[in-house]
Amino acid sequence: MTVENKTNQLTSKVEGNVLVLERTFNAPRELVFKAFSEEEHLKRWWAPGGWTMSIKQFEFRPEGVWHYCMKCTDENQEYFGHESWGRAVFHEIVAPEKIKSVDAFSDAEGNVSEELPQTQVTLTFISEGNQTKLINRAEYASADDVKTVLDMGMLEGVTMTWNQLEELLKEMK
Amino acid sequence: MGEKLTTLHALAEPNRFHIVELLRVGPLTVGEIADSLKLRQPQVSKHLRVLSDSGLVEVQPIANRRIYKLQSQPFLELEEWLDTFRSIWEDRFDRLDDYLKEMK
Repeated sequence: MTVENKTNQLTSKVEGNVLVLERTFNAPRELVFKAFSEEEHLKRWWAPGGWTMSIKQFEFRPEGVWHYCMKCTDENQEYFGHESWGRAVFHEIVAPEKIKSVDAFSDAEGNVSEELPQTQVTLTFISEGNQTKLINRAEYASADDVKTVLDMGMLEGVTMTWNQLEELLKEMK
Repeated sequence: MGEKLTTLHALAEPNRFHIVELLRVGPLTVGEIADSLKLRQPQVSKHLRVLSDSGLVEVQPIANRRIYKLQSQPFLELEEWLDTFRSIWEDRFDRLDDYLKEMK
């Protein structure tokens, strides 16, 4: 069963315990792939506005590690001074078509968080003339309560509830 | 995070998950839940206690019956939390879109 949501140009759907996000970019596939595969480019767009991105390790190859930190440097934001460390391991790279990785939260030393869920992410780049369709498939990878519940179809249930809520709100207007 | 973990932990047990699914349709008594799921009544009562302790269901005594119904708050919180993943990528894609213009 599939539940779809459309906001702006982003399509999101839930297939079992997998969250699928799709978006089309006005740029050729090689360029979009480059934005994901080179440190100097990633730095420029990965972190939210007001957060600076520093990359401690970036090995863009199978079994290579990408260890980075996003720090909030905007004093007007709630999270000013807050650091968020992430650590991903690339598993499969097919330039310029596919990047498969397992993403986790970590600390400054690169120790992966046991409490927060890990996600297995597959990025697929599809060439459509001068445009590129990017598909992001995310699946919870760690064996914890989050995964158990999502495997039982919770995400689908939740998304359905959300759609129903939207319908209800429309009727209420 | 703590409350969400409580919600997730309560739901991670298959019988409790089925009870919640049943209650989505409408409020029920212990006996009705036990019949539908082919479980013994004391077993259902035990699961209902966990669910009500974690705020997922509430009990309404009507005459000499106790009716169990779902509480929406924990589900709304869980949904909000799951939706953050989506919004993180939504914002990230917006920034990538702008950056690709610079790269060209």
